Amino acid sequence: MHRRTTTLARGRRALGTIAAVVLATIAGCTGRDSAKPAGFRVALLTPGPISDRSWNGGAYDGLLRIRDSLGASVSHIQTKTPGEFEENFRQYGAQGYDLVFGHGFEFQDAALRVGPEFPKTVYIATSGDRASSPNVAGMVFGFEDPSYLAGIVAGSMTKTGTIAVLGGTELPPVKSSFDAFARGARSVNPKVRVLSSFIGNWDDAAAGKEQALAQISQGADFIFQNADAAGLGIFQAARERKGVYVFGSNSNQNGVAPDVVIGSVVIDLPHAFLTVAREVKEKRFTARVIHLGTASQVVTYVPNPALDSIVPPQVRAAVDSVRARLVAGTLSVGGDSTPR
Amino acid sequence: MIALAFIVQTLRIAIPYLLAAAGGVMSERAGLIALTLEGYMLGGAFGAAVGALTTGSPTVGAICGMVAGALLALLYAAASMKFRANQVVTGVAINLLVIGLTRFFLRLLYDSSSNSPRLPGFRGATGSGFGALVTNPLVWVGVVAFAFVGWLLARTAFGLRVRAIGEHPEAAASVGVNVERTRYIAVALSGVLAALGGVYLALDQHQFTDQMTAGRGFIALAATIFGRWEPKRVAVACLLFAAAETLQIQLQGTQHIPSQFVEMIPYVLTIVALAGVVGRAVPPAALGREEQV
Repeated sequence: MHRRTTTLARGRRALGTIAAVVLATIAGCTGRDSAKPAGFRVALLTPGPISDRSWNGGAYDGLLRIRDSLGASVSHIQTKTPGEFEENFRQYGAQGYDLVFGHGFEFQDAALRVGPEFPKTVYIATSGDRASSPNVAGMVFGFEDPSYLAGIVAGSMTKTGTIAVLGGTELPPVKSSFDAFARGARSVNPKVRVLSSFIGNWDDAAAGKEQALAQISQGADFIFQNADAAGLGIFQAARERKGVYVFGSNSNQNGVAPDVVIGSVVIDLPHAFLTVAREVKEKRFTARVIHLGTASQVVTYVPNPALDSIVPPQVRAAVDSVRARLVAGTLSVGGDSTPR
Repeated sequence: MIALAFIVQTLRIAIPYLLAAAGGVMSERAGLIALTLEGYMLGGAFGAAVGALTTGSPTVGAICGMVAGALLALLYAAASMKFRANQVVTGVAINLLVIGLTRFFLRLLYDSSSNSPRLPGFRGATGSGFGALVTNPLVWVGVVAFAFVGWLLARTAFGLRVRAIGEHPEAAASVGVNVERTRYIAVALSGVLAALGGVYLALDQHQFTDQMTAGRGFIALAATIFGRWEPKRVAVACLLFAAAETLQIQLQGTQHIPSQFVEMIPYVLTIVALAGVVGRAVPPAALGREEQV
């Protein structure tokens, strides 16, 4: 009994210490944020850790670029649950921030609800598809265009006549970009077979590898992957089989596995963020759904220079000519949404 | 041909489950809840990465992984025996601790919070064929580990003591069994075995990635319970889970079934099997008890 009490007391003391540390940390953060002088102020909410070097990391880079290019003071919060989205939006509004990004479709409803309360703050939901005057906007990326270009490369170069798409989970934007990839491949190779699988999550590399090996054993020699950390396993699978190549996605992954990544379907989040921030700073902003496609150069297909030698010149020429038509607007590959 | 591919893939997926579940049986038979398998695996994977990257040898990597697993297991054993902490709480804490520690050292050693540089694997052990499977020494370790645990528990004096203290530690102590020491050894062994499951993952990926075990330790724990703590049954449970996963992967290529539905298969199978086939599972009587000799 005596032992019990001591343990409890010790536990309570430990809890107290932890609480104190947490409070001090929170106080520290708040202090730092509110100490910033007035001027152009921009905030970012991300749904995941900014260390992922992909969706969230790209957004944070965008925030830093706004700070460096526009002299803005910036703030970032990682928030998981929808309940916190609104709260954080409201907090930044109350502190008088000029621009707040909610990085992902999931932030859209919260932005639309909070927006009217703080008309002087601009709220942007990345990959949101609705807007509300005067200060809530969505930002949509034409990820289908570069996916279509990657499809042309795969469809032209496949030796087995079978290519594959492999994603984390079946989100509508991911599916839409996979469909564009398949359309691109069929545009140059109508008989090509396109396998499609989803891992079921975004971070299990071992599961990604097994899915890729299964696709390879069914004949796929080009795989378009969009699986974040699980994608690392897909690169590994390609390394273990000769003549299998993978497309990177979201960020430029050509350097991640230079021997098997034939090219990357890239979304330049910093460029997109800076474009919008500049509008807001120069008071040119109007609430609308902002479309950023190939013409804006926010989304691009980036071939891997290390593997340029294996891509026939006529394939490169075909990619360039289709890209030119996409930029000129004389070709539409359908769909218009974001990867995740 | 398709059947062979199916079997090879099933075995490949089953290896980490087999290793971790062998550890699960050891720990739970000795009366300590094996909630920490996930942490041992992740620690083992990270140890393997550090060892292999530092020395260039996958064998040294495997040894480092085992040491990491043993250390974590001893920490868990000390917390639950010496300090009589609740095993579920300690188990969860250790799993979280390992996630944080591996991420911290990943950042410190390799300047990345998502993955380590590429590391050497066992020579010849690449690809998806049967040859690659049988040339991977860790596959054999996985098979042997199960036979070893089965033999240890059923045929040795040590195994008898482990089983006794898992059922009734006071009775075992009354006939002169050193309960604490036996438990420390059993739990350390469970840490080494489960860590090998993580070693397999890291060497197979040629990389450590953040949280790369992705819940496999919990699947192994489920297999331990599903197999009613009997090594043979547990091995069958591991193979069954792996086969369900393989089925899921192979079916997806066909495109006719929505992916969400196919991804569900392993989980549905688990529930059906647990509810209908297995019957009542009776755990070792002293499992998870705090007040012990």
